Amino acid sequence: MAIVRFEDYQWKYANTKEFALRGINLEIEEGTFVGVIGPNGSGKTTFAYSINGLIPSQYYGVRKGHVYVAGREVKEYRADELAKQVGVVFSDPEAQFTAMTVEDEVVFGMENIGLTVEEIRERLEWVVPLTEIGHLMDKPPYEVSGGQKQRVALAAVLGMMPRVIVMDEPTAMLDPISRKRVFDVLGRMKHEQSNTVIAIEHNLENLIPLADRMVLLYNGEIILDDEPRPFFEQMDLLLKHDVFPPGAIQYFFELLREGYYNGPLPLTLDDATARLRQLVEKVKEQS
Amino acid sequence: MNKTILGYVPEESPIYNTHPATRILFLLIVSLFPMFISAPEWNLLLVVLILILMRYSRIDFSILKLYVPVAVSMGSIILLSYTVFAGNHPEFHELARVLGIRIYYERILDAITVYFRILPMIFIMIYFLSTSRERDIIVAMRSLRIPYAVTYLVAMALRAVGMVIEDFSIVRQAEQARGFDPVGKSIFYKMRKFVMYIIPLFALALRRADEFANALIARGYSFTGLLSNPKRADYVLTHYQAHYWDYLISFVLIVMLVALVVMRYGLGMLSLEGSLTEQLLRAWLLN
Amino acid sequence: MSDATMSAEQSAEEVWAVEEGEERSVGVIHIVITALLIGIGAVVGAFGSFTLPLGFGVNFFWPAIAVQNVGSIWFGAWGVIAAALFPIISNGVAGTPVYVSLAYIPANAVQAFLPAWAFRQFKGDPRLRKGRDWAIFLISITLGNIFGAFWGPMVVLKSFGLLTTDSLPLFIWGWFAGNEIAGIVFGVILLKALSGVVIRSRAFVKKWFA
Repeated sequence: MAIVRFEDYQWKYANTKEFALRGINLEIEEGTFVGVIGPNGSGKTTFAYSINGLIPSQYYGVRKGHVYVAGREVKEYRADELAKQVGVVFSDPEAQFTAMTVEDEVVFGMENIGLTVEEIRERLEWVVPLTEIGHLMDKPPYEVSGGQKQRVALAAVLGMMPRVIVMDEPTAMLDPISRKRVFDVLGRMKHEQSNTVIAIEHNLENLIPLADRMVLLYNGEIILDDEPRPFFEQMDLLLKHDVFPPGAIQYFFELLREGYYNGPLPLTLDDATARLRQLVEKVKEQS
Repeated sequence: MNKTILGYVPEESPIYNTHPATRILFLLIVSLFPMFISAPEWNLLLVVLILILMRYSRIDFSILKLYVPVAVSMGSIILLSYTVFAGNHPEFHELARVLGIRIYYERILDAITVYFRILPMIFIMIYFLSTSRERDIIVAMRSLRIPYAVTYLVAMALRAVGMVIEDFSIVRQAEQARGFDPVGKSIFYKMRKFVMYIIPLFALALRRADEFANALIARGYSFTGLLSNPKRADYVLTHYQAHYWDYLISFVLIVMLVALVVMRYGLGMLSLEGSLTEQLLRAWLLN
Repeated sequence: MSDATMSAEQSAEEVWAVEEGEERSVGVIHIVITALLIGIGAVVGAFGSFTLPLGFGVNFFWPAIAVQNVGSIWFGAWGVIAAALFPIISNGVAGTPVYVSLAYIPANAVQAFLPAWAFRQFKGDPRLRKGRDWAIFLISITLGNIFGAFWGPMVVLKSFGLLTTDSLPLFIWGWFAGNEIAGIVFGVILLKALSGVVIRSRAFVKKWFA
């Protein structure tokens, strides 16, 4: 059964002429990791806010169609009920902190959804090592580094154990090392917890190895929706819509097109290196 | 020392063994003491006691430097008020006449009395700010059963103060990078400085309000549930425990307050008339 | 999030009018804006209190008055609540005794309430487009400052026994001038610079609470 379902969904912000999202039909199965990509202004954040209920509860505008989470229309949920189903990590690590210590920050959401002290303690024992924030617990959240902030935000969301986690460009403001550490946590979540994750990201190198499915949003519409390999095989379509896949993928796509290579498109740098090595050895053998 | 939003606190201090609620009670009750004491020597004794308490609490005395201008400014204003603006009082003892301004013995005595009444209040405030971290203030309020709606607003406000201070330094660095330097400049230049800071501060705050509200909702926070959420775990309170000495200190403070009221209004003690200060000043200025 | 073309500019009447079918309710954004106003007010207020103090939280130049005036015009009762509360923090940091700060609450609340009430009552445009808008702003903040200038020194400082009767005029004028000049200079700049953005935001309060 689909955990998230969009049905002929459209949204237009008040005081604007164009719909930010239109004709959205999408079903996301429980336990899948979906990567959502698209250029700035394509409606990715609006898409995320439509799942966690910020739209329409916090924004004025015109809404048509439906968004269902766990079989229930999003706008019928109370805030604390929906928070149990959908957790969001935002792009700006600074703006999402509401408490004065990291521990308070992680605990805040759990208190809001009505957990007891014992339940909170149990969840902390699980989520703190997972996100590697144990040494930060007594610090003010605004005093830790950008990467640590995003791990704290992730811990705060994971602690609420939502069925769906939406990540709205969680590494947009991070350096490469911090970015990798956030994705390491996401990887662990995918393999150990089987959460449904919807990750909106520009950083494809880190996203692709984790994604079960990729969605391209452009100008408020879904242009492409497929598993990663067939998704990136649509290279011309992606480039036409301002998406630039990682160099390794583009390189192998060119080899494929020129007839120098006929295997599956490698999606990661490691995979590409291995396949290139095989290719070179094959050429050596032939010559 | 650790920097907090409101000042500096020692890293380790025996005062941290008291419950934060005891410290807030200390602020509220002891601040009342000077109002029942007119005799300056008793208020001076109170200042000395607070200084001893500060030493015991391992507060770095260098932070007092920050408050010297405040103490001097208040002293000057009081002196100005009671000398230059003393008025014409033939019934008082005139000590001198400077540029037509009459200096009266009674007014000097009043100025000293008022100043020594305000001085302990300032020291109590400094003591409180130097021994209470932001989290302590929130814990104290929650322990005193102040509604969650109020304590959370205070917590957010303190968090906002930290955020604004951070924004302020970013804006200041940005202005300085463009060659804006207010040091040693005129008051009009400094007024311009305020303009250059206050608009970006407001603009940043408005932008952040949106993100901040979204983050709260994503954590399951709902305004309507604030006042009627009796099941909230309040996990932070589990780190703090009231000991027998907290009850003892609170009891002693209340007893002292009652004793002061009785001494002042029941027994006529602690008044200015017949006080040591009055006797010394009379001997010095009138004889 | 995509920024699309804005619709035609609103008139002063439309700024405050609640359209048919328009639903406005108190939301988390209002609590947040109150907290942020307290934050800005506390920082700007403490800055003023340390720079040109007259004593006991009274200053010759207090830019935080603009936070009180403008905050309440834009955000109604939330601005008034913030205006009443932030001086407790800013004065406290500058060494003013807690009970003196608490006793200032009515003065600070009225200083914020009057401009908020005047703009809503007389449909003034927060963007200060016409002479009428300027008049509403200037008169309301002046009346608020007059109240504050009498409440602070006469009720608070006098009752705490901190001032002589003869010195009251100095403090009354000090309070009034310290607030009035800063209120006009910064209030006007903030209203002109940011009202256009604020009235389109979801935090803007048309009535008193939403």
